Amino acid sequence: MGEARLGTPRLGYGVGLRTPHLAHIREHRPPVGFFEIISENFLDCRGGRRRALEEIAAHYPVVLHGVSLSIGSTDPLDFGYLRRLKRLADEVDAPWVSDHVCWTGVLGVHTHDLLPLPFTEETLAHVAARARVVQDVLERPLALENPSSYVEFRASTLTEWEFLARLAEEADCGLLLDVNNVHVSAFNHDFDPERYLRELPHERVVQMHLAGHTDYGTHIIDTHDAPVAEPVWELYRLAVELTGGGAATLLERDDKLPPFPELLAELDRARAAAGAVTAVSSVPSGSSGPSVSSVAAGSGSHG
Amino acid sequence: MADDAPGPAGLAAVQRWMQAVILDPAEAGPGAADQVVTASRRLPARERLRIYQQGYRMRLAECMRSLHPGSVHLLGHEIFDQFALEYVDAHPSRSPTLAGLSDGFAAHLGRTRPDTAPGAQREAWIDLLIDLVRFERVFAEVLDGPGPEDGSGDAPSSLRLFRACAPVHTYLAAVHRGLDPDPPGQRPVRLAAFRRDYTVVTRELSPAAYGRLLASRATDDLPT
Repeated sequence: MGEARLGTPRLGYGVGLRTPHLAHIREHRPPVGFFEIISENFLDCRGGRRRALEEIAAHYPVVLHGVSLSIGSTDPLDFGYLRRLKRLADEVDAPWVSDHVCWTGVLGVHTHDLLPLPFTEETLAHVAARARVVQDVLERPLALENPSSYVEFRASTLTEWEFLARLAEEADCGLLLDVNNVHVSAFNHDFDPERYLRELPHERVVQMHLAGHTDYGTHIIDTHDAPVAEPVWELYRLAVELTGGGAATLLERDDKLPPFPELLAELDRARAAAGAVTAVSSVPSGSSGPSVSSVAAGSGSHG
Repeated sequence: MADDAPGPAGLAAVQRWMQAVILDPAEAGPGAADQVVTASRRLPARERLRIYQQGYRMRLAECMRSLHPGSVHLLGHEIFDQFALEYVDAHPSRSPTLAGLSDGFAAHLGRTRPDTAPGAQREAWIDLLIDLVRFERVFAEVLDGPGPEDGSGDAPSSLRLFRACAPVHTYLAAVHRGLDPDPPGQRPVRLAAFRRDYTVVTRELSPAAYGRLLASRATDDLPT
């Protein structure tokens, strides 16, 4: 496995922590490198779920993944929310906090959706400035995730990958590369997902997400209710090769939750796929950069 | 926005426009979406925007159902969703978390109940629904609020006193157990809800016991 990113520890392979799995995890202590929680699910909770989180955090690294930072909103930053987020991150000793490159509402309203941004110079300056402030408040790295999206704006003057690359540099923050979201948005917006992955600043990717989606024919929605799809596995292998294997990988499942051992088996597949890629890429080949097809072929039965 | 008007300029204007058409799809005229967002090879702009409009309502309806399983059982999904979405339309969320999404639901139902028109007869089922919604909020607040387990509080700190027109607590408990209870009959009850070992305990109280507990509290800010 490659080097750690932005001073973050190498956490390996993790699973999103969901309430129906708490009892299994507390009883069996499954072989998972880390857990990721949805921050907002614990900000208001002082009951049994919070107690379970504290117990799990005593045995596993826990990272925070938020959905309400609204880093792209033109509303002022919510410092009350940030203080609560910082307190939660401190309590579970989270090595980093992540959220999405999106906005969730304006004029004081929260839509609780990850709404897309027009990729313009104005948006870039706005988001980068806010991300720097957020990192200062949280006192730990912020990793911003590429969201899945279903519209593009006429006003956009940058591609999504250009926007993310410049944002990471200008805000000096990390990226959370959601490989499924790349696939979803590539289908919805007719761009090349391989080019997207190649154009990112790979050294800034601290974490990757894997998840399932639903294909409606005319569009794909990021539903997190199914196993990771084959095209996403292919992109994941390319992402691992491009990033050098140092980023943490997390399996997300939010709906139609299977028993935890099924998630472990899927996580094993990620581990095997990444292991095969890094093993192949460590052998000098003299070839040019990897492609999805060549990486998939190199992964053998793990593909 | 008129069909031939230019799209909103600048990030703030785009966000105000998009939020308005998500919260109220009628805000977007037939051609307005084309001024702001692009079509894909497979979907016109308005259909792409509709994904967000539908997703917003589906997500919040699902959240309201998760917060009020007893009320869903009482009304059925379809009718519950109608009430819930009318509430969400009238009171969009202003919190970064969803735990308090339905804080104002009971009050909204009380304000909009149809049996308050002059000459209308008061409907008992509406009283039952409102009290059940209120109790579900109390239950959630006790479950997730501060409690006695970590030594930072005591059982009385989680205590909530509650009056209802019917034994909504036994109805909700049956729903939580996966049963299919009939709606409770009208029978006024006085309840105490508190937390023990991270679970919510509910006790029906006599009028005298309820009165003593109410009087013993330093502040009387409880819904009764």
